[in-house]
Amino acid sequence: MKIKRIAKPKVIIPTASMADIAFLLIIFFMLTTVFRKERGQKLILPSAKSTERILKRKHLSYIWLTKDGKIFVMDQRVSPQRISYDFRLRVLEDPNLIVMLMFDKDVKYAYVDSILEALREARALRITFSTEFKGGG
Amino acid sequence: MAFNFRRKKIEEPEIPTASMADIAFLLIIFFMLTTIFSRAKGLKMVLPEKTTEIVKIKSENMMRISINPEGKIFIDDAITETPVSEIKNIVKERIKENPKLVVLIKTNVEAPYKKMIEVYDEVLQAGADKVALQSIKGGY
Repeated sequence: MKIKRIAKPKVIIPTASMADIAFLLIIFFMLTTVFRKERGQKLILPSAKSTERILKRKHLSYIWLTKDGKIFVMDQRVSPQRISYDFRLRVLEDPNLIVMLMFDKDVKYAYVDSILEALREARALRITFSTEFKGGG
Repeated sequence: MAFNFRRKKIEEPEIPTASMADIAFLLIIFFMLTTIFSRAKGLKMVLPEKTTEIVKIKSENMMRISINPEGKIFIDDAITETPVSEIKNIVKERIKENPKLVVLIKTNVEAPYKKMIEVYDEVLQAGADKVALQSIKGGY
């Protein structure tokens, strides 16, 4: 007896549009990418309900303050006096400078106060306390 | 003499697209690994300029919120602590009574930063636009 083999249907995955999908994703990532300039520090930001997004990203300049009171600017440890000097120059370069304060939520207010005073001295008056969004209400 | 009129077969031009997806995915992986999504968000503030002249504010236009070293909050000269959640409504009421109100947040240098943010957040939610920060050094 002759047994007829059932012809298996060929399985094809259409790959013609794969490149289109991939390029679409590329464009998305290209537009949303900001190359990081600094590595930053490990810290936990406080959270607040009235957190706003800052859209003028190119005017931003960051100051990091860790839980133990160490201050970092561009991954370099600095003193408040150094901030005063450094940001005076930055404000001259960009009068619309916004200083982003990345402070750990458990840091003592004394350190925060010393940085705020240094920024006032440097006339870098536009600041943002970096916070996380807080849900509810 | 025989003429050869046979046409030469023209090769069809082809662009190989098989590896296109691979190239594209390679680029995707590169961008995915280098991307950081913008974390620029927070509470805005404009600091006062450093001047020699003293700006005087009438005490009736001033509301003082003090934070002690333990993070407890006191409004004006009150002896009893005010819970953070009530600040918003109190400030709202005060602004309604007096639109010129300036809210002064006095934080002890020993208090944690998050307490000051909590208070500032509540004050912003209440719609105050004149907010000042001050630090208290030493004891209460």
